[in-house]
Amino acid sequence: MHKDGIRTHMMTRRIIISFLILLSLAIITLVVLDIRKSRTDRRPANPYDLNLDELAEVDPSLVRYQETLDLKLDDSEKKGIAYGMGKIWLIGENYLLVLSPEGVMLGKIPLPESPYCITVYHSDIYVGFKNKIRVYDPDGRETGNWQVAGDSTLLTSLAARDSLLFAADAGNRRVLRFSTGGSYLGEFDGRREAGDLHGFIVPSGWFDLAFAPDGELWVVNPGLHALENYTTEGKLRGYWEKGSTGIEGFSGCCGPAHIAFLPDGSFVTSEKGMVRIKVHRASGELESVVAPPALFENGYYAPDLAVGDRGEIFALDFDRKSIRIFERKTE
Amino acid sequence: MNRKSFINQSGRWIMLGAMAYLTGHIFFRRKVSASGKYVWQIDPYKCNQCGRCATQCVRAVSAVKCVHAFQLCGYCDLCGGYFKPNTLNLTTGAENRLCPTGALTRKFVEEPFFEYTIDEDLCNGCGKCVKGCSSFGNGSLQLQIRHNLCQNCNECSIARLCPSDAISRVPVESAYQIKGDFKNPAVKETR
Repeated sequence: MHKDGIRTHMMTRRIIISFLILLSLAIITLVVLDIRKSRTDRRPANPYDLNLDELAEVDPSLVRYQETLDLKLDDSEKKGIAYGMGKIWLIGENYLLVLSPEGVMLGKIPLPESPYCITVYHSDIYVGFKNKIRVYDPDGRETGNWQVAGDSTLLTSLAARDSLLFAADAGNRRVLRFSTGGSYLGEFDGRREAGDLHGFIVPSGWFDLAFAPDGELWVVNPGLHALENYTTEGKLRGYWEKGSTGIEGFSGCCGPAHIAFLPDGSFVTSEKGMVRIKVHRASGELESVVAPPALFENGYYAPDLAVGDRGEIFALDFDRKSIRIFERKTE
Repeated sequence: MNRKSFINQSGRWIMLGAMAYLTGHIFFRRKVSASGKYVWQIDPYKCNQCGRCATQCVRAVSAVKCVHAFQLCGYCDLCGGYFKPNTLNLTTGAENRLCPTGALTRKFVEEPFFEYTIDEDLCNGCGKCVKGCSSFGNGSLQLQIRHNLCQNCNECSIARLCPSDAISRVPVESAYQIKGDFKNPAVKETR
């Protein structure tokens, strides 16, 4: 009787242990299956996925530039870049950096407030703030400043030529004309004819202008994906426009966000969203791709642009906080 | 060590660990709710508009909806959130529109501006318009969990599969996490 009791007890124990082992195995199997099912590559196809990869693909034969330097900067916010006097001039949160074209730091000049745009002409450095322009000499001494009137003024670009300074005001969708000494000389809003409902269409805070090497003033009309050529008095002389998600045009709501000029007068353009940098001939036709979207993975902001003496392109990558230098491939 | 002292020791260590966790949670958790209530929400800076919000929510039609931060919108004619990429004609024809349910509508304001609004009853939270807007526009269209629809499950089934970890619990006082300006419109409470 006693032996039978022990046997029954052992049997019960075996059954419980076997059950617990089976239960543990079942739980482990369920957990493993659940983990495997959750893996990204094992999920069922997503019917709502919007795949834009195809749009970002670029024919490799169009890419005629190569990245020769990726100059990492510190983590603080960067605002704009310009090239002049053989140096790179870069504005950040509240400072102006001076670098050699090879990326060697030459100086750092404190600024009294946060800047938005910069241009260099002869030996003057013009820095645009929200509604103010300050002029510096190459040693960082302030040689002049003036306020720009307007309720919602937001200066996003400056360009100087001869004794004139032009400022793009994204907040009021206008281009202001000053003497380089700071006297207000007038403004224009891009209306092509007197009865036009609108002139410059600026859907976001990107509104650029620049002088071509031949002295012509070009202003981006971002909402129309257009580049417009104006006389210094603000009369429209000509324009070209191309809106397209294809590589031949400018994509999205507004673009290009930034422009610069190569020594031969070609446009260098950068676009936001699907970030890419391209070269367009003076006629507007696409000449080549400097940097395809693949080089700006997870990027959003259009790099600010400057062009060096040898035609090298300096792109200020706001997402990566670096200056990326592109040079034309040798044939 | 006998069984009793082992249990005592283990109990002490578990209590100590729990206290350390709670202390760390209170001091290092960035967002603390004054009322102690939390709700699930999408961080638009992390969201990559994968489309899973439409299919993973336990609600028959997802509690995730597209919302519009008008302050960021450019009111453009060519809207990357409204039109399919490479659309030839900027018309309201269904063949040109990105939204699979027709929830995103546009209204002419003045040449060349259009206002875009979302019909939340039609929106299924797929995020196609959000991806289009982020890729080609200002990013004014964003996905958010609507709290009049969300059941605030203990474990959000979308958060579990979100590839960018964009969904987390946030204090109920800041239940919407929007880039730019967004005024929570009056919504009909459904539960």
